[in-house]
Amino acid sequence: MARHIAQRLMISLPVLLGVLMIGFLLLQVVPTDPATVVAGPSATKAEVEAIRQQMGLDRPLWVQFAGYLGRVLQLNLGRSMISNRPVVDEIALTFWPTVELMLACLIWAVPLGISLGTLAARRRGTTIDRAIMALSVMGVSVPVFWVGLILIQYVGGAGLLPFQGRNGPIWTADGLISIILPAVTLGAVFVGPVARMTRTSLLETLGADYVRTARAKGASDWRVTIRHALRNAMIPVVTLVGLQIGFLLGGSIVTETMFAWPGVGRMAVGAITSNDFPLAQGAILILAVGFMVVNLIVDVLYAYLDPRIARS
Amino acid sequence: MTDVTFPLQSDADQRAIATLRRKNAVWRRILKDPPAAAAALFLVIVVLAAVLAPWIAPFDPYSNNMRLRLCPIGGARCPDYLLGADNQGRDMLSRILFGLRATLGMGVTAVAVGGGLGALIGLSAAYFKRLDQPLMRLIDVLLSFPSILFGLAIAAVLGTGLTSLVIALSIAAVPSIARIARGAAQSIMQQEYMEAGRAVGLGDGALIWRYLALNCWPTILIYMTLQLGQAILLGAALSFLGLGAQPPTAELGSMAADGRKFLSIAPHVSTIPCAAIFLVVLAFNVLGDALRDALDPKLRQ
Repeated sequence: MARHIAQRLMISLPVLLGVLMIGFLLLQVVPTDPATVVAGPSATKAEVEAIRQQMGLDRPLWVQFAGYLGRVLQLNLGRSMISNRPVVDEIALTFWPTVELMLACLIWAVPLGISLGTLAARRRGTTIDRAIMALSVMGVSVPVFWVGLILIQYVGGAGLLPFQGRNGPIWTADGLISIILPAVTLGAVFVGPVARMTRTSLLETLGADYVRTARAKGASDWRVTIRHALRNAMIPVVTLVGLQIGFLLGGSIVTETMFAWPGVGRMAVGAITSNDFPLAQGAILILAVGFMVVNLIVDVLYAYLDPRIARS
Repeated sequence: MTDVTFPLQSDADQRAIATLRRKNAVWRRILKDPPAAAAALFLVIVVLAAVLAPWIAPFDPYSNNMRLRLCPIGGARCPDYLLGADNQGRDMLSRILFGLRATLGMGVTAVAVGGGLGALIGLSAAYFKRLDQPLMRLIDVLLSFPSILFGLAIAAVLGTGLTSLVIALSIAAVPSIARIARGAAQSIMQQEYMEAGRAVGLGDGALIWRYLALNCWPTILIYMTLQLGQAILLGAALSFLGLGAQPPTAELGSMAADGRKFLSIAPHVSTIPCAAIFLVVLAFNVLGDALRDALDPKLRQ
C-alpha cells in the first residue's frame, strides 16, 4: 500500500509542475504590465523601470519561473494588489470555509445518492426506477445558480433560513444554520450523478457469480444487495466522486458567490473581476492543488476498497 | 426487418453490412424511445429558433422602454410582450431567442474548436507511438485542471468577455475528446487495412486522414454532442459569475444574473433564462444518454 501511494505521488509530481507552469505562464501573457500597476498612474518611466528590476521582471523567463517555484515552495505567493496583504494569508482565511461547504454538501448528497441509486437498481424497470433516473438526469442538467435562486427566493426570502454569508464556524448554531442553504444548493447537483453511477455499477455486480452464490446460501435479498453487491459497486462510485470534485468545485464557486460565502472560489472571482493578479493566481493555484490532493486521496481510497489495484 | 442472407460475401462485406444495420438501429432506437425522441425534436426547434432569431424575434432585444420596466408575463402594460419585460423594459421573448443564439453558439463553437484539437491530439497519439506518452501526460495535466478553473484563468488573463469564455470552454473540451479519439484510433490502428495502406506507400498524412480520421469521426462526433450540454452549463455558470458575456449582451447566463436583483418583485426576469438553460441542457443529456445506450452493446440487453 505504501508503495502504491509513493507511486501515485511520483505520477502527480509532473502534473503539479505542469499546473504551476500554467499558473506562471498565465501571468506572463497578462496584457497589463504588473510593474506599471504597482508603480501607480503617477509614476515616471524610471520609477516603473526600477520597480520592474526590483520585481525581477527584466530577467529571462526560465529564471523568473525558477524564482516563482522557489517562492511557491516557501509559500510566498506575493501580495494582493488591493488589500496589500500576503496572498497566503488571504487563502488561509478562505480555505476552511470552502472545505466546510464541500464537506457539508458531500455529507448529505453522497449517502442520499447511493441510497437512491441502490433503490433504483433493486426496483429496476419499475416506476420508482424511472422516477429516480429522471430526477437524476434533471439534477445533472439544472444550472446550480437556478437552484440557488429558487432557495434564496422561497426559503431565504421568506425568512426561514439565512442566505447571506457565513455567520460563524460550522460547530456554532449560527454557523450551522447559515451553511444549510449553500450546502443544499451545491448538493442538489451532486445527488444525480452519484445515484446514477451507483445504479449502473450495482446492476453490474448484482449479476456477478459471488452474488448468485450468496443468494444460493440463502441470504436475504437486501442483505445480498448491501453486504455483497454494494460494497463492490462502491469502487466506481468512489472514482466518480473523485472525478466529480472538479464539477463540485465549479458548483462551489457559483454557490459561494451567490450566498456571499467567504471561500476561495468567491475570492478568485472577486480577484479576477478587480484585476488583482497575484491573488487570482494564488487562488487558482490553491484550487488546482486542492483538486489534485483530493484525486490522490481518492486513488488511495480506491486501493483500499480493492486491494488488487495496489498490487498490480 | 427480414433477415436476408447473402452468400459468397467476404468478411469485410459482412462487417460493412453489420455497421450499416447498427447505424440504422441507433436511429430507430432513439425514435422509439419517447423521451429521447422528444429531446431530439425539442433541440431541432431550439436550434432553428436560435439560428432564425434575428428574423423571428418580435422585437429588438436591445431596445428598452422604461415604462414597461419589469412588466410581468401577461401584464396589462405590455400585451405584446409574451414573456413580459426585463429590468430595462426589453422584450423577454426576443432576448431569450437572442440569448439562445449566443449560448448555443458559444457551446457549439467551443466544442467544435476544442473537440477538433482534442481529436487531432488523440489521433496523433495513437498514430505516432513515440508521441503517445508525452501527449497523454499533457492531457493528464489538462484533466487535473478542473474546467471551471480554465474559465477563471482565461478570464484573469484575457479579461472577461464572450471570446475568453469560448477559449476557456474550448480548452476544457480538449482532454476528454482527445482520450476518446485516441481510444477509437487505437482500435483502428490494429486493423489490417492500416498495414495495407502503409504497404502501398501512403504517407502519414494520408493514412491519418483517410483511414484513421474518417473511421473515427462518428464516435468523436457523438461524443462531442454529449459534451455540448456540459459546455453550455459551464459557459452559463461563468457568464452568471460575470466572467463571460457582459451586459447588455443577451446571453442566458448573464440574463439570469441580471434578473437576480429583482427576484422578489419580478421573478420571471431570471427564471425564464434559467429554465431555458435547464431545458436545453436536459434535452442534450437525455439525447446523449439514449445515444450512449444505443451505441454501447454492453448495456443493450
